[in-house]
Amino acid sequence: MIDIVLQDIWSPIIFILVGILVSLIAYMFYLMGNPDYKRTKYKGDPFISGNRPPTDLKELHVGGDNVYWGFTKALRKYLDPLVEGHTGIVNDYVYWFVVTLAVVLVFLYIM
Amino acid sequence: MNVDLLTQSPVFVLAIPLLFAFLTPLANKVSKELRNAVFLIGLLLTTLFVSLMAYEVYTMGSWIYVFGAEQPTTGLTTQSFFRITFLADGFSVLAALTIIITALGAGIYSFGHMKESNGLGKFYTLFLLTLAGVNGMVLTSDLFNLFVWFEVTSIASCGLIAYHNDRGESVEAALKYMIISVIAGLLLLFSIGFFYGEYGVLNYFLIRDSMTGSLIDILAIGMVMVILAMKASSVPMHMWAPDAYSEAPEPITPFIAITSLGSLFVLFRLLFFVFRGAVETSAIGSILIILGVLSMFIGVSMALKQSDLKRLIAYLSVSQVGYMMMAVGVGFATLGTGDYGIFGARAMEGGLFHMINDGVYKALLFLSAGGIVYVADTRDLNKLGGLAHHMPYTTFFFIIGGLSIAGIPPLSGFSSKLLIYKSVYLYNPVLAIIALVVSIVTLALIGKIFFNAFLGPDQGVGKKIPRSMILAMSILTIVVVLFSLFPNYVVAEIVVPAIEALGVGA
Repeated sequence: MIDIVLQDIWSPIIFILVGILVSLIAYMFYLMGNPDYKRTKYKGDPFISGNRPPTDLKELHVGGDNVYWGFTKALRKYLDPLVEGHTGIVNDYVYWFVVTLAVVLVFLYIM
Repeated sequence: MNVDLLTQSPVFVLAIPLLFAFLTPLANKVSKELRNAVFLIGLLLTTLFVSLMAYEVYTMGSWIYVFGAEQPTTGLTTQSFFRITFLADGFSVLAALTIIITALGAGIYSFGHMKESNGLGKFYTLFLLTLAGVNGMVLTSDLFNLFVWFEVTSIASCGLIAYHNDRGESVEAALKYMIISVIAGLLLLFSIGFFYGEYGVLNYFLIRDSMTGSLIDILAIGMVMVILAMKASSVPMHMWAPDAYSEAPEPITPFIAITSLGSLFVLFRLLFFVFRGAVETSAIGSILIILGVLSMFIGVSMALKQSDLKRLIAYLSVSQVGYMMMAVGVGFATLGTGDYGIFGARAMEGGLFHMINDGVYKALLFLSAGGIVYVADTRDLNKLGGLAHHMPYTTFFFIIGGLSIAGIPPLSGFSSKLLIYKSVYLYNPVLAIIALVVSIVTLALIGKIFFNAFLGPDQGVGKKIPRSMILAMSILTIVVVLFSLFPNYVVAEIVVPAIEALGVGA
């Protein structure tokens, strides 16, 4: 039988201990790195297909509408009707309530 | 007369916020310091009595508190048909703890966030009235009394949503909330009338023992179920929630969300404790599962399109309600079958554990968002950025709340979601896959807020977060961390007694 008692399948304390252990190992690898590394002018700068990064730092920040733009664009056939359905008109809120009530009552009656 | 505070504690959980709600405006006439002190004392005393009630329930067992009886614990008799009763048991304690932790956080947070606002005497009165109302909803075991507290909660919450009445959007959101609440309240009264007309009683126990499963019963149960699902912001009746959550003052948003959770507690109490014998459990379970899946998926989908910080979190909140409905729906659908012992009870554990988790981390998220709004004076994610430079504590609190809502280990959201995934998978693997996908998208959306608001170049801010706001968020963070570190203890000591109190095995 599949055991799904929480204490048998999940222990946050062990997870944290393992996390600390992995962090220590990662830190050891870090210490093994090149000690002569020095941050120069170009090291660590953003690479934008060879273009120079914008000088105005604010231009570097991607705004809320643009984050996951490709994802929401690809899903527009699903998302656009959904957004249009949220009209903000209270009559529609009541409409959905009445429809849900009717469906639930019919379902309960049939069952 | 010997007054045992522990036995009387359910009354004080209600009486203290009611009393202090009306003391607050009087204290406001004297000084704002006295007003704040009265409000805080009311909040702390309520917390104390919730703790006392929890202690008594966990050490001595549950009891029915009968108002007007010679001894409040003499229990129900045929003479007490019209006496209001409260039920102090594991389920009431789970609900009351969820509510009071959030209220404590939101209340302390208000001192800093609202200090420049006018009319705070009324604000704190409405706050305590909402607290009394939602406590009454989850403690009562009388249907008409439930209606009374339902109305108290709705009216007080409506006032709080419209608190910034100089903003048209706030008034509009409050008006929508009022219309929805009035319709819900009237239909609730209508369905209570059905029960009273049929059986002549209003008490949960007496109705449960009288129910025959007649057509009138089915009609009334269906109405109660849909009304409470709407108040819990379940899809497709969720549309009021993003309006109300985003337009309410920042400290109040988690509190409005907790009234939704209160409705869900009442729904589960009624379904399991009162209506179970009169309905086809698989049918009700299926309805809960369908509403839950819709809430999860549509909630998170709508969140994808939001650029308003509070609306985005509001849709995530709708999505989280779906997890609870789906998990408890699986528990209800398997009642009376062998599957209940195998995974139904575990789904119940996951669902109820998720309720207390969600109440706390969602409050933390909304209060962190409130901190952002306080400092940056905008909710628009297109305009925010670089706040981590100025708000290291709020950034940390947001990370804790955000990772918890996304179900990332080792935080508390993961523990409850793990139970839900594993148990629901055995009922229907598709449900578990949907739940996982929703969690992944939730994480992506938390990443979006984090990136937009906290990362990026320093844009400069004009305000510093007051200490009381930091303290409130710290309290909630500590609770989230404790729930994260000791989930087995929470399940064994708080969640399992709640399931047993519903009259079904854990």
